[in-house]
Amino acid sequence: MILDILERSLRERSPLIPVEALWNTCEGSRLPDVDPALLTPAIARRVSEICPTAAFTAREESNRMELKLSYGECIGCARCIDVGQGAIVAAKAFPWTGVSKQRLVRRWSVNDRAEVQVISPESEEARKEICALLGRALNIRQLDSGSCNGCEAEITALTNPHYDLERFGIHFVASPKHADMLLVTGPVTRNMAEAVKLTYEAVPAPKLVVAVGACGCSGGVFAGSHAVVGPVDAVIPVDAYIPGCPPTPAMLVSGILQVLHQRNGNR
Amino acid sequence: MKDRRKPGDLEPRQGSAGAEFSVPLAQGGKPARLVSLFGSLSESREVVVRYVFDVGDPDYQIIECRVDGPLVSITPRLPAAAWYERELHDQYGVTLSGHPDLRPLLFHENWPEEIHPLLETPAEIPWAKRRYPFLKVQGEGVCEVAVGPVHAGIIEPGHFRFSVMGDVVLHLELRHFYTHKGTEKLFEGSPADSSVMLAESVSGDNCFAHAVAYCQAVENACAVAVPPRAAAIRLVGLELERLISHIGDAGFLANDVGFVVAHALAGGIKESLLQASASCFGTRYLRGVACPGGVRTDLDAKQVAMLRDSVTQAAREFAALAHIILETPSVQSRFETAGVLYQNFAEELAVVGPVARACGVDLDVRRDHPYGHYRDLQFEVPTIHYGDVLARARIRIQEAAVSSRLICEALGSLPPGPTRLSVQFEGQRQGLSAVESPRGELLYWVGIENGRLVRCHIKSPSFQNWPAMPFAVAGNIIADFPLINKSFNLSYSGCDR
Repeated sequence: MILDILERSLRERSPLIPVEALWNTCEGSRLPDVDPALLTPAIARRVSEICPTAAFTAREESNRMELKLSYGECIGCARCIDVGQGAIVAAKAFPWTGVSKQRLVRRWSVNDRAEVQVISPESEEARKEICALLGRALNIRQLDSGSCNGCEAEITALTNPHYDLERFGIHFVASPKHADMLLVTGPVTRNMAEAVKLTYEAVPAPKLVVAVGACGCSGGVFAGSHAVVGPVDAVIPVDAYIPGCPPTPAMLVSGILQVLHQRNGNR
Repeated sequence: MKDRRKPGDLEPRQGSAGAEFSVPLAQGGKPARLVSLFGSLSESREVVVRYVFDVGDPDYQIIECRVDGPLVSITPRLPAAAWYERELHDQYGVTLSGHPDLRPLLFHENWPEEIHPLLETPAEIPWAKRRYPFLKVQGEGVCEVAVGPVHAGIIEPGHFRFSVMGDVVLHLELRHFYTHKGTEKLFEGSPADSSVMLAESVSGDNCFAHAVAYCQAVENACAVAVPPRAAAIRLVGLELERLISHIGDAGFLANDVGFVVAHALAGGIKESLLQASASCFGTRYLRGVACPGGVRTDLDAKQVAMLRDSVTQAAREFAALAHIILETPSVQSRFETAGVLYQNFAEELAVVGPVARACGVDLDVRRDHPYGHYRDLQFEVPTIHYGDVLARARIRIQEAAVSSRLICEALGSLPPGPTRLSVQFEGQRQGLSAVESPRGELLYWVGIENGRLVRCHIKSPSFQNWPAMPFAVAGNIIADFPLINKSFNLSYSGCDR
């Protein structure tokens, strides 16, 4: 049997995806992007009406109209893409992972057909800097605060031979006491709120907390439920957010590396 | 799926003691299998309890009881009803006489007493501190081991209270519902056509089965038949989900006995299917694909060919890997005789899915209550009667082979035509539908009023199967618990909702 395994390992090519191919990609998440050149008031109104979690909102004030997209709320249902007549497309490059809550929000002026306050995706230099970070150790404790297990399935995928998070020196650990980072999924349910607080307290300082998924960022489809306390930041302080429902493994890798990069810059 | 009750044999009786009825019988004179039990509110806001039975017909049998006063518990007669009746008590405040254990199920110590969210919408729920008495196993040398809710690994939260004598587990008590999100309440009042996204968030790894079960329930309520092409694409999605789930499970089982190479290889095969799914459907876990009336994503000829190739290759690689796993002596010695669930326990607790089929209970919704494209296809349902971890691993491996064959067959003859019909929602409607999810029988019951849901009940296979697991664990050593737990592979979120 061992010989069979060995033979197989030697025969097959490694499926490992290079970090460059993971960086800023979100294929499989169906998160939207806006092509401002095609944006009209009718489309802006239509997508804000159809969005089931109010990720898209349109605001009209004295003949001016602004379309706001908050990735933290978006569950990637693609209903906006269906009705967007080409102005709403599936995002290709996706740098909005592992960022602050403010940076999850984008705005477009419908009149000017342009994005307001464009924050450009990470430059080539930043990418190189991040790659230089790799090889340091980071211990992550994953915490499910009430998730549907979609995010867990994708976090588990990070350890498969295609993504192999261990190559970056990143490990999942069993105890919060061994962790540098808490990766928290799900809306925090009433029944988990105490356990979430206790787990947070058990992580030694300085602790990094990353909220994962639409539910972790905003409560997602469970926002407002009587059995849910709220998103992760309603219960413990959060440093960064990884949106998506669920985020793809590539978005998780990019997000975790982005958090490390930000943290390095703040020192 | 209407009420098929014949007047003489099963008659709910209203009396001072509440409703009482004789349990319908299946073929052979055995009591019929309890599929689900749930409450809802009538227009006059009375609680109506529905009992869903499987008597061996393609249609499920529903018995309705209006509650006026205490309801006689059917748990002493049908142990499978125990959690359902506790849930009914929590959600609607129905008093059940004769139930052996009416401790709160959904609501933990922080919920005040007398909160029944489906009876009355709670405004502000204060934080309480109640006590929850666990069963105490006493005697010389008996120790208690408490595990969870936060586990060591990327696992969902739940609490396990083991009473052990040395290494041997005498008794295991489950305390779940940490991920209870009030999903059934959230369905109430939301539009029937877009609520499929809530169904998809009940159990993320089986989200397509939930989506299809929900959509079929809505379609049954509105008497809509989806176009043949949509039915075939749904079948492809359902079987793909099963294949992905079973491949992953086989890998995790190997991992739990220290065979990490097999785990890595299984993870790689599973990932290749998820990537194929992303390039064909746009999403890795088939979220947002099903909708009432059909599917939102069509496949073109190139995608069909690509998906077929991926599935064929994955199935071939997995068959070779499964052979390696099952023929490794150290794996066999851990899998064999671990965590035996006996057939009579499984039947009494109405266990479903691969867990049931691994201990000789021959149930499969696809064959017994056919729906969609399954009506047109021939397939075998493997069963094994040993009931141990090895049997549960084998069942999944055999089912994965059937699934890949069904996918290729359906993709090879995809009917032409539209993939979606519009659904009209006027008036008051009710519908029920079941699908065979990777974990077993999954049932949705919906009540719709003018396009909005007034009630949506979810019977998840995990809710049904969790109470059976302690019976498989008792008598084993505590170190085998993770392996036995994995071999059941139950969803916490699906159970807790």
